[in-house]
Amino acid sequence: MLMLFSALAWSQTTTVTGRVVDEQGNPVPFASIREKNTTTGVAADENGNFSISVGPRATLVVSAAGFEEQEIPVAGRSVLAVALTSATNLQEVVVTALGIKRTEKALGYAVSKVDPGTLVQKSEPDVLKSMQGKVAGVDIRSSQGTPGSATRIQIRGNTSFFGNNEPLIVVDGIPFSNDQVATSDQALGGTAYSTGLSSLDPNDIASMNVLKGSAAAALYGSRASNGVIIITTKSGSAGRSRKGMEVTFKSSVAFEQIANLPEYQNTYGVGSYGNWSNSNGSWGAKFGTRDSIPLYDGYREAYPDMFPSDNIVYKAYPNNTKSLFRMGTVYENSIGLSGGDEKNSVALTASNLSHKGYVQNSSYKRNNIGLGGSTKLNMGINLRGNFSYSRSTQKGGYFGENQFDGSASMFARSLFLGRSWNYDLPFEDENGNMLVPGPAGQFDNPLWSAKYNVATTKEDRIIANAHADYNITNWIKIDYSIGTNISTFNRNEVTEIGSRAAEKKGRLIVENYRKQETESNLMFTLTPDIGENFSLRGIVGTNYNQRIIDDEQNTGNEFITRGIHNLLNTVQQKFDLDYYSKRSIIGVYGDFTLGYRNYLFLNLTGRNDWSSTLPVESRSYFYPATSVSFVFSDALGINNNVMDYGKIRVGWSKVGRDANPYSLQNVYSFNTNFLGQPRASLGTTYYDLNLKPEFTREIEVGTDLSFLKRRISLNVTLYKRTSTSLLAPISLPASSGYADLYTNFGKISNKGVEVSLNLRPVQTRNFGWEIRGVFTKNKNTVDELTEGVTRMVLNPNNPLGDLNTYLEAGMPYGYFRGTVAVRDDQGNFLINPQTGTLIQSTELAYVGNPNPDYKAGITNILSYKGLMLNVLFDMTKGGDLYSVTVNSLMGRGVTKDTEDRETSVVIPGVYGDPLTEKPILDGGKTIPNQTRIPVNDLYFASSSVNASFAINGPIEFSIYDATVYRLREISLGYEFPKSIFNKTPIGSMSLTFTGRNLWYLAPNFPKYTNFDPEVGSFGTNNSQGFELSAAPTTKRYGINLLVTF
Amino acid sequence: MILNKIKNSLFIIPGLMLFVSCKKQLDINDNPNNPVKVPLTTLLTNAEVALGNSLTIGTGLSQDLAVYTHQMSTREEANDYAVTGVEFFLTQSWPRLYRTTIANLDQIIKDATANDDMIYAGISKVLKAYAYSQLVDVFGDVPFSEVGKLAEGIRYPKFDGGADIYPQLFAMLDEAIADLGNAGAANINAPDDDDLIYKGSTQKWIKAANTIKLKLYTQIRKVQDVSGPVNALISAGDLIGSTEESFMLPYGPNGATDDRNPGFGDYFATQRSNHVSPWLYEIMKGYNPKMNAGIEDPRIPYYIYNQETATSSPDNSTEYRDGPFVTIIFGSKGENSAKSQQNTVSLFGIYPVGGRYDEGTGGVASANSGTGAAPYRFITYADRLYLEGELIQEGIIAGDARATFQAAVLESFNQIDYTIANYVKPSQTVPAIFDETPASPMMKYIDEILLNFDAASAAGKLEIIMTQKWLSSIGSSIDQYTDYRRTGYPVMFDPNNPEHAPGGFVQPPIDGDPMNPGAQAKVPVLRTLPYPLSLPWAQDELETNPNAPAQKTPSEFKVFWMP
Repeated sequence: MLMLFSALAWSQTTTVTGRVVDEQGNPVPFASIREKNTTTGVAADENGNFSISVGPRATLVVSAAGFEEQEIPVAGRSVLAVALTSATNLQEVVVTALGIKRTEKALGYAVSKVDPGTLVQKSEPDVLKSMQGKVAGVDIRSSQGTPGSATRIQIRGNTSFFGNNEPLIVVDGIPFSNDQVATSDQALGGTAYSTGLSSLDPNDIASMNVLKGSAAAALYGSRASNGVIIITTKSGSAGRSRKGMEVTFKSSVAFEQIANLPEYQNTYGVGSYGNWSNSNGSWGAKFGTRDSIPLYDGYREAYPDMFPSDNIVYKAYPNNTKSLFRMGTVYENSIGLSGGDEKNSVALTASNLSHKGYVQNSSYKRNNIGLGGSTKLNMGINLRGNFSYSRSTQKGGYFGENQFDGSASMFARSLFLGRSWNYDLPFEDENGNMLVPGPAGQFDNPLWSAKYNVATTKEDRIIANAHADYNITNWIKIDYSIGTNISTFNRNEVTEIGSRAAEKKGRLIVENYRKQETESNLMFTLTPDIGENFSLRGIVGTNYNQRIIDDEQNTGNEFITRGIHNLLNTVQQKFDLDYYSKRSIIGVYGDFTLGYRNYLFLNLTGRNDWSSTLPVESRSYFYPATSVSFVFSDALGINNNVMDYGKIRVGWSKVGRDANPYSLQNVYSFNTNFLGQPRASLGTTYYDLNLKPEFTREIEVGTDLSFLKRRISLNVTLYKRTSTSLLAPISLPASSGYADLYTNFGKISNKGVEVSLNLRPVQTRNFGWEIRGVFTKNKNTVDELTEGVTRMVLNPNNPLGDLNTYLEAGMPYGYFRGTVAVRDDQGNFLINPQTGTLIQSTELAYVGNPNPDYKAGITNILSYKGLMLNVLFDMTKGGDLYSVTVNSLMGRGVTKDTEDRETSVVIPGVYGDPLTEKPILDGGKTIPNQTRIPVNDLYFASSSVNASFAINGPIEFSIYDATVYRLREISLGYEFPKSIFNKTPIGSMSLTFTGRNLWYLAPNFPKYTNFDPEVGSFGTNNSQGFELSAAPTTKRYGINLLVTF
Repeated sequence: MILNKIKNSLFIIPGLMLFVSCKKQLDINDNPNNPVKVPLTTLLTNAEVALGNSLTIGTGLSQDLAVYTHQMSTREEANDYAVTGVEFFLTQSWPRLYRTTIANLDQIIKDATANDDMIYAGISKVLKAYAYSQLVDVFGDVPFSEVGKLAEGIRYPKFDGGADIYPQLFAMLDEAIADLGNAGAANINAPDDDDLIYKGSTQKWIKAANTIKLKLYTQIRKVQDVSGPVNALISAGDLIGSTEESFMLPYGPNGATDDRNPGFGDYFATQRSNHVSPWLYEIMKGYNPKMNAGIEDPRIPYYIYNQETATSSPDNSTEYRDGPFVTIIFGSKGENSAKSQQNTVSLFGIYPVGGRYDEGTGGVASANSGTGAAPYRFITYADRLYLEGELIQEGIIAGDARATFQAAVLESFNQIDYTIANYVKPSQTVPAIFDETPASPMMKYIDEILLNFDAASAAGKLEIIMTQKWLSSIGSSIDQYTDYRRTGYPVMFDPNNPEHAPGGFVQPPIDGDPMNPGAQAKVPVLRTLPYPLSLPWAQDELETNPNAPAQKTPSEFKVFWMP
């Protein structure tokens, strides 16, 4: 409160007028003038004159196309003269590896700055999800449509076969674990596990830079081969402020619902071949042809009064799926305070997020607090430190493929409920026992499941670090920083008594996980004066990193009594996991940048690492990087009305990577006791004791251009990245006695293009239009495995026997192999003459590639006075998806796609022999199929012997091209006129309406399924392109309020 | 300046400390979670369980082979003989046999031999020989000579011919017998309760080893003169000679740990898939005109549990019903075949999987219906007697075929009581079936079977022996599959055989369905694939092993012992 009172004193506004000119004193038309840290802003007129209402201590930020941005403190003045510096002398500063700041000109590699303003107040609490479509070269994929679910981010493709392929995320100098820790197999019933970054408060982000190539990232060492995202928080960067105190308050509310439901047929109920039966598929009797059906099991016993008869009415329930879901909400409040004087500063951010999903009991709550400060000691040392804490609680149900024993996906039937099932009937009796309108036992009632089968993860994260720097002489500076990042979670996965998943006896799985990462960095920066035409900056330093993981998982089977969810209340307990690991890396590095006349720069870096995970003789390894930047517009003196800036850059780098811990010993593993006897067995992995580091080499070339006084700016980068001698397990035949051999082998490459293009077609005093386009194309190929190995299964734990993702030389990373329909040489289907149906191959074949061809996003920003409209369209071209939902929608006959069915059909094809998989010939000629089958058989088969095009059919028909076009984000903001707040403590206020995912089109899925392919069942796992009864995406509408004092 | 130096050193000290402690910081890579050495006891228990799990219904090869030997019907791949190299149970069993069973047995043999713990070595060799024999019997040619030699640089073992492997198995069993009887061995570590099968009894292990030899010689009798070795084995007499000497892996209840027979899983399965084959059911009921016609088998309530009663109404219209008995038919194309019968289908009972003894009162099965503690029977005393009966009947050894056959059938009944009392330990009261009083159901049954036996031709007698062996060994389907392929008995249901399915239809018992008074609808059936003479190899093995052959056509690939 005290702070608010103090704020009152500063908040009288005054009108400041002024004129914007260039270096020669000529007026700069239509420059933008805004108040720092607010959205208050005006534009200058064509003569450069402006007028703005701000507080006397405000700082104005003046920018114009073709000029360098300038900050001017008002300092009580009412008339200001602003002279802007031409952009040809642009010295934009970019944060690169290890926090080293460089001028944009000197960069020989691609770095994307992400404006934090584009990430907040968009009704999206997840930082990564709000980056979608905004950064070139980055592939971001969401997983489930429930709160807190994982987001996968990838920069320039996969560089390892099985290992972590996500970028290194560094927050305030400390690596930030973005791991997704799965307790249960997500194919069979795990929940939508979150990734670490979702615990980061977007409101606390001060800056974000994406180092895409390894040339940029090499100094980070062994984990840099997948790129680096550098985030600086406000609390971690509390800068000295000219202004005494700033208070920012943000509040938002959003409502969400399922993005789209399928368009159902409501003509036929459950059954088969037009006859009613108590089954799952809606292939049964036409409504109106019978009046009643037998009551479902258990209802009469549970509610004798409600069900006086053994029969219930037979009719359609068009809204039964819709009635399963509610309106979800996202509430977010955040307050930021910063202040200080010439020597000291402090910043505090506190936020609260509460996100409830569209399914009961699915939620994500997060509380964050971050505090940072800095001071300059009299002896000349600068000290900085910050501390942040977050607590998040994620709740949600289980997913996965319901067809496996012990699986009970919450979405097992939700989207393809029998059209005659009434979900207004009670889902439980008075004791909580499940009731199911439909075949009992085959799936859990989704309403019951949502209420009782809930996984809860409570995560705490602490980041603490300290930094000191000191100028020893005017050309030697020393920096030291040390920090730690601790994340711990406690997870309970409850399967309540009665669920099919745990023998109907109930089950509790508990996981306790802790990861601590500590990093220390000592760095000397040398900037000797080496003459007028040359500049040199050298950095040498040493880095220490240690990671410790503690993980324990236990299962309790069979609850003794209902409703108490702890291990003591279980009959049988089992230890699943008790794991500890510790690894460390020590590195020394050097980084030298030689500049010539401020337009030609040569950068050389080198780093040597010593890793604890490699054999003593190979644990030391060195890797260099180099890059050249040439600002040809300066060198050649190009500065005309067409082009104002041009740079070309070339970078080459090599980055080493170490092994997983404990990969140098062949060990046994323990098994659960059997009949009271302890058990152990040989490990399934055999370790090569002569492991060596693996290396990723990358070359990138690019250009940064701007035209027409920065009305057009273009950045293009081409790269090729190759990893060799990868540390990974080679799959071995079981007859070797092992499942795999962990060694160095193989080669994997990525080639790609990243383009970002910014246009400002219109910029007048009152109206502005800006277009930002990004384009990302990456081709990820496995180049080599090892002799004798044709292909390897990417996810050996995948339980789907007839579909998996593979690594194979010459093929895309993680491509699909699955069952196919047998065809003849001309591509005609072979038809089993005895059944009239497809013949399914006995061997697997290529059925798809989950990697998209390219991604693109276009943001249009229109501003008119205080109004701002922001519209982001993005698209993903290509990339295949295996969809259990679509397979089931078709196979269960619930959508309009399969409504036309009262006929028989002939599958075009020729007769074939199911044994030989060859066409049957009559006088040397194939015989066209003439066997008619009911439409029911086209989509649902009792087994693969009479294969269909959906359920119990070849996998190829359940794989779809996931091309999707989307209206990702739309926001309309309004900045209230300053004059309203003259007598209040309020400095500025803006209101923004947002909509997310309001429209999408996935043209290659069956029309009435309305399927949104932006889902994935394995979260951040390397196996992508699986949708196993996933929760659909959401659309959101939100209102956001921003107030500064 | 001094102040400056102090300030400088403040920064340098942490850096120096890092280098000083460098080595200590890096030498931290010893695995704290997993041991590099474990007691042999833990490996033996694990290998025995893995061997059982590789072969049972529920997790192992019997899941598919019980369908191929027509004791079970499912809707999955095994229906229509369509098991491929990617079929779930096959792809699970192959690595479980090679990696979890054989690799660990090899490790025991290595460590035990080095330590002169020859009992461990001997037991492991018996188990290993048995595991390989089952692999050869099911798959024909399999990796053998180059298995488990990764440390010697062999990543990709070649496949050896079954005919080349069998002689080495006899040698391995002889070595095992020598190790087990090695009085000079130190045996500082000797197995006890960790040996789940025989609790470390060397005598029983020797008997098991000899009986395995007898079985393997019997299996190759069509391609080789085995009279010498089998006569030697019989006259030495050191064979499994009583019920309690049967070679079986015990399972336990769901107690402190879950030790249940995987075949019991259908009692709590979320989607019950293991239907009892109508072929088995009809033979036991005496409905089959060619096999045991008119003779009802008193073992039915021990073998089959009906969730229905004779008159209760099912979840859905049924495909095959006979009063309380509900199932589906192999190769069915009927419209009721795919309908859920989750709470109405008949399940395997107390004897095969530790399920429920059928008291005739019905009731939805659950995890609480039984203990699930039925053992997996590798080779029982009854099996040994059937082997002997077959050898006598075929004139390879001398003896009284009828008496041996009779003893085998009696033992088949006896072991039901023995197993239930000693292993399954049910909570319900289960009456004894073994009863030698003349008018008892068992005696009546055996007398009638013997009447048929006496009246039968030589081929008919062999058929009756093999049919009884098939009935006796319910739940253990590997040897049934082998016996059928090498003798042609018992006759298996064939949807395309007009005698079994006239006009392509199977007629369930006319009055069997109380919901459908009058004639129960006949069911169209069809077989599109010929009978598989061996199983396809696990596709994972072929894909990862460049020395593996191309995938076989199962209906054409004979195991070497087939005539």
